[in-house]
Amino acid sequence: MRQIVAFGGGGFSMESGNPLLDDYVLGLTGTPEPRVCFLPTASGDADHYLVRFYNSFREGTKPSHISLFRRERGVSDTRAHLLSQDLIYVGGGSLLSLLGVWRAHGIDEVLREAWEAGVVLCGLSAGSLCWFSEAVSGYHGEVNRVQALGLLPHSNAVHYSDGDRRAAFHRHLLEGMPGGFAAEDGAALRFVGDELVEVVASRPEARAYRLERRGALVMETRLATRYLGTAAIPAALPESIGRALAA
Amino acid sequence: MSAPGRIFVSGGHEFKRGGGNDALSDHIVDLADSSHPRICLLPTASGDPEDQIASFRRTFGERDCLPSAVSLFRLATERVDLREHLLAQDAIYVGGGSMVNLIAIWAAHGVGEQLRECLEEGVLVCGQSAGAMCWFEQGVTCSSGAPTAVAGLGLLEGSACVHYHGEPERRHFYLQAVAEGGLKHGIGLDDQTAALFEDGQMVETVSARPTASVWRVAHTEDESADGMTAIEDRLDSRCLVHQAPAADALGADILELRETLAARAATGRSRRTGVGRTGVGRLD
Repeated sequence: MRQIVAFGGGGFSMESGNPLLDDYVLGLTGTPEPRVCFLPTASGDADHYLVRFYNSFREGTKPSHISLFRRERGVSDTRAHLLSQDLIYVGGGSLLSLLGVWRAHGIDEVLREAWEAGVVLCGLSAGSLCWFSEAVSGYHGEVNRVQALGLLPHSNAVHYSDGDRRAAFHRHLLEGMPGGFAAEDGAALRFVGDELVEVVASRPEARAYRLERRGALVMETRLATRYLGTAAIPAALPESIGRALAA
Repeated sequence: MSAPGRIFVSGGHEFKRGGGNDALSDHIVDLADSSHPRICLLPTASGDPEDQIASFRRTFGERDCLPSAVSLFRLATERVDLREHLLAQDAIYVGGGSMVNLIAIWAAHGVGEQLRECLEEGVLVCGQSAGAMCWFEQGVTCSSGAPTAVAGLGLLEGSACVHYHGEPERRHFYLQAVAEGGLKHGIGLDDQTAALFEDGQMVETVSARPTASVWRVAHTEDESADGMTAIEDRLDSRCLVHQAPAADALGADILELRETLAARAATGRSRRTGVGRTGVGRLD
C-alpha cells in the first residue's frame, strides 16, 4: 500500500510533548518496532534537529537518519537504507534547498521507489509540500508556486492559518494551479495511493481543507477531522449545548 | 565563458588562528580593498551551521570588517533580500562542505546568476574547498566518501582540486582523471594556499604555510609511460606572513589595566579612594 501522511505542521519538530501525530504515523506501519529514517535535508542537516529526532524516537522504534551534507559519515548505501525502512520522516525547512539537494543525490527517485514498495512517507512543512505536484511555499518571503516531487497529483499548502498563504493559494488556483489540500498546524492529511482517506489532528481545533477552482471562484471546503487525543468537549461548543450536556 | 571580476580560491582555509589561516584571512581583507570591508559568508555547502558562521564573524570582525552571513536554509526567519545584500558587499566568502549540494541549492535559488552579477559589479568573490572548486568547470568532491568528479558553475576555465596534498586519495583521483581525460586540466591547491583570478585569468598564487603550494595539472602524451599521463608543475607562490598586531591600542589598554591592578594590589587601596584614582591617572 502506498501511503503518505502530510502534516500542515506538528510532530516532534513543533509540538514538544504532544506525540499524537508521530504516534499516528508509527501506527500506520503496522510494525511493533518500526524502522524510522529521518531526512533533515531541508534544515541543512542541523545537528539540534537530529538530536530532537533521536530523543523523540529512541523508544519503540529503530531510528536512523541520512545526512546529505556529511555523506562521508553514516549510511553509505542510501538507496538500500531507505528501501529497508518502515517509515521515512522528512523534516521542515527550505523546500527549494530540499528539492535541489534530493535531485542532485537521486533521492527523489529512491523515495518514489520506497513509496511504491510500501514504505510509509511522512513529514511536516517542507516535508509535506515535497510530496505534491505543486507546493505553495512561503518560506522565502513571497509565497510562490514550486514544482515538487509529484507523488501526489495535487497542490498543497501548510501552516494554513497564515492569511498570506491562504490568499496566495487562492490566487494560484485562479491562475491555473491544480486543486489540492491545505492543512493547519496540528492537522495531517493521510493519502493511500493518490486519494485522501483521512484527516487527523493533534489539536482539537486544527483543520484541513480541500481547495478547487470553480470558474472564477475558489471553493474551499473544510474537511472532517478526527482528533487523535482523548475527546473533550470543544471549547467552542455553543453555550446552550454545553449547558444541556452538563445537565 | 570566463568570469569578469576577481575570484580568490583557496585549497583550504579555516576561520581560526595558526597554521597560515591568519595570513590568508589578512590577505582577503587586503584584497577587499576598503577601510571597513563588508564581507558576507555563504555557508550553504555545509548546511549553514552556526559554529562556522560564528567563527567567520569572529575572524573577520577582528580585522575591522563588517561581517554578515546569509543562510538559504533559514530565510523564513532571517529575512533578507539576497541579491541586494550580496551586491552591497565588498567581498563574498563561500564556505566549504558538499560541492554537489552547494551547486544544487544555488541552482534552486538562482544564486549563481546573482554571484555573476556581483562579480560584474566589482565585488571580490572568495571561497575555500567546495567554495573554491565551485567556480570552475569541474571539481573533485569527497563529500560522498570516495572522490568523484563534479560539475561547477564554469565561471573559471578547467578544473580544480582542493586539500591537494592533505588528502592523498583526492590528489591521486585528480591526477588519474586528468591523465585519462575525465577531467580537464586545472590546478591543485594545498591547504592554506590560494589563487587569484582576474577576468578569468590566474594572476597570482599565494601560500601561507611553508611547505604548501599550488600546482598546475595537465595531461600529456608520454611514450615511456605507455599512453596518457598527468604532469604536475609547482607554481611559484608569494609567501603570506601574518603580522601579529604590535603593541596596538588594545594591547596597550590591557597592559595598562594590568599595571593598574598590580599598583592597587601593591598599595592595597580600593579604587573607590581618591588616592586610587590618582594612581590610575598616573599610569596614563
